[in-house]
Amino acid sequence: MTRTKKKPVSVAKAARTTIFYIFVVGVVVALLLPFYFIVSLSFLSTREAYEYPLPMVPAINTHFKLERGKRGNLLSVYDRVEGGYETVLDTKELQKMSDYMKYQLATPMTLEDIEQQIAKLETQDVVYFTRRRNLLSNYQSFFGVAGSEAVPALIRSLQICALTIIISLSIGGMAGYAFARYAFKGKDLLKFSVLFVRMFPGVAIAIPMLKILVGLNFYDKPIGLSLVYSIGNIALTIWITASIFMGIPESLEEAAQVFGASKARAFLRVTLPLALPGLAAAAMYSFLGAWNETVSAIILTQFNPTFSVIVFKTVLGAVGQVNLAAAGGMAMALPAIIFTFFIRRYIRQMWGGVTI
Amino acid sequence: MTAIARRNGKTWKKIAKGATPFLLVLPVVLYYAAFWLRPVLSSIIASFTGDAGQFTLDNFALVFHEEDFVAAVKNTAIIVVFSVTLEFLAALFLALLINRKFKGSGLFLFMAMIPMALPAAAAGAMWITGLTAHGWLNSLLGYLGILAEGKKIYWLVGSNAKLLATLIIIDAWQVIPSVMIILLAGLQNIQEEMREAGYVFGGNYLHVLRKITLPLLKPTITTAVILRMISAIQIWLIVVFLFGYSRLPVLLERVVFYTKEARGLYIADQMAAGYTLVVAAIVSLAALVYLQVSGAFKREKEQLT
Repeated sequence: MTRTKKKPVSVAKAARTTIFYIFVVGVVVALLLPFYFIVSLSFLSTREAYEYPLPMVPAINTHFKLERGKRGNLLSVYDRVEGGYETVLDTKELQKMSDYMKYQLATPMTLEDIEQQIAKLETQDVVYFTRRRNLLSNYQSFFGVAGSEAVPALIRSLQICALTIIISLSIGGMAGYAFARYAFKGKDLLKFSVLFVRMFPGVAIAIPMLKILVGLNFYDKPIGLSLVYSIGNIALTIWITASIFMGIPESLEEAAQVFGASKARAFLRVTLPLALPGLAAAAMYSFLGAWNETVSAIILTQFNPTFSVIVFKTVLGAVGQVNLAAAGGMAMALPAIIFTFFIRRYIRQMWGGVTI
Repeated sequence: MTAIARRNGKTWKKIAKGATPFLLVLPVVLYYAAFWLRPVLSSIIASFTGDAGQFTLDNFALVFHEEDFVAAVKNTAIIVVFSVTLEFLAALFLALLINRKFKGSGLFLFMAMIPMALPAAAAGAMWITGLTAHGWLNSLLGYLGILAEGKKIYWLVGSNAKLLATLIIIDAWQVIPSVMIILLAGLQNIQEEMREAGYVFGGNYLHVLRKITLPLLKPTITTAVILRMISAIQIWLIVVFLFGYSRLPVLLERVVFYTKEARGLYIADQMAAGYTLVVAAIVSLAALVYLQVSGAFKREKEQLT
């Protein structure tokens, strides 16, 4: 549709392009807005997270005001939403003040520092000071409080993901190759396997699976969950790898065979290197599936939960700590988003080849 | 002798060649037999087994008489019908518009993938913090001046219709991009010449869309819609995140409820087993009907012949 007319057309075209871009930006804003808020929330201090309306951007500094109070020293904090100082604490105890700053305001101050500021009250009525906030405070407390649990769970989750990738890429990849290159009986059945394995609810499989895993002595171990996750992932990997192998002309392999290479060698030397980026994308898809799964993980773990289970519990249990829940959610989302960034180019290849 | 040997060698080679695809597929078959079919069968058997281990249909009777059963079926049906329709139409509209090379299309695609990459726990955290009366959604509406100061919208309380609407919109946010991406991939595999031919013969945009683009896209559409439909019937986690158990019952939420939450109840196992089979039957039936109606099976035969 290349029309070569003169300027009036190009004006109309420019207008159309502009409208198109406005539309695209609108879609992006709608997509990312909820996401922005959870990111922002994960950086807010506990005090800020319970304000209404919520601050739209996390503060970098906290502004303090110190006066003499009835019971001791009166601490006020600048409130960006209200636009003034709000009294938060009246106490003599330095430790209490320090704790409040650390846990509620995410602005840690040493006791000496606080003491120095209080000392200034000898000469002034009001002391103003500003301290840098600890922006990562929620993440630190998520990994610290959710405890010694979060880090081992993270490692376990990564092990599960690695095992799932190995299982589904080897088993699924072989079938995907067969699907792309051969005509054989039962090919359609293979194609519909993606649907079949999804028709039976995953939760429902998890319960009988519990017995099977206990029997294999795999219960509550990374390999057990990766076996469960591979069920769905193998089917998806067959589709994706089949599409990828279909995209690589068979004639290349045949050419290699003409030059004396065996079928296996032709595959290893010609097709596999060409398929490698696409296979990596398929592997990342498996990673996402295994990383994000929560429900089977809840049922099939006992003392060794996965990272998603920890986050799930924090989110549900942290009704009193929304900023902590947000930090946990973000810690969970970040690897998924990074991996998505790498597979975005293969989307067309992945979904283009096999359809129902 | 040598000739026979050679011929034997050849037949062996032929057999080996014919066997290659089956050897390649064998691991999948074994894997599914061990880790999918076996749990599925024991799940099905469990749904026909009473607490004394005898064959019974009581489990289904229990399910059908449960007070939330009708509500669960109704809510699930509403969610599936509205969300699949809405999501498909919106995704198709977006995909048709975006289906061109433009500056930043790669970046756009990446950003569109973020919602679908978001883990359920993260998405749950996002919407809980957003939809409470003091959440970010009301705050944002307040800043934009849409919501008068001091006023709040209570997203998570109210009539069932309102809760379902909230749920469908949230679900759409997460799902539209993924459906769009599948459709976009299908669109980009349609050769440009096909559509150009349509224009050459005097068709306008709508003609070309209806007579050329959509028919060529049909296999992709079938794929996208059926995958979507299967997971829409199995919606539950976001429901529990937002409303808790039993507030807005849906089918799979009942399964999880009886599996995890109502452990103390003596009929919990039977309920869970019964509900499981009901869900699986509904999903399979819906999928088969859809495939039949959309002509996927017919296409299959055409390809084979």
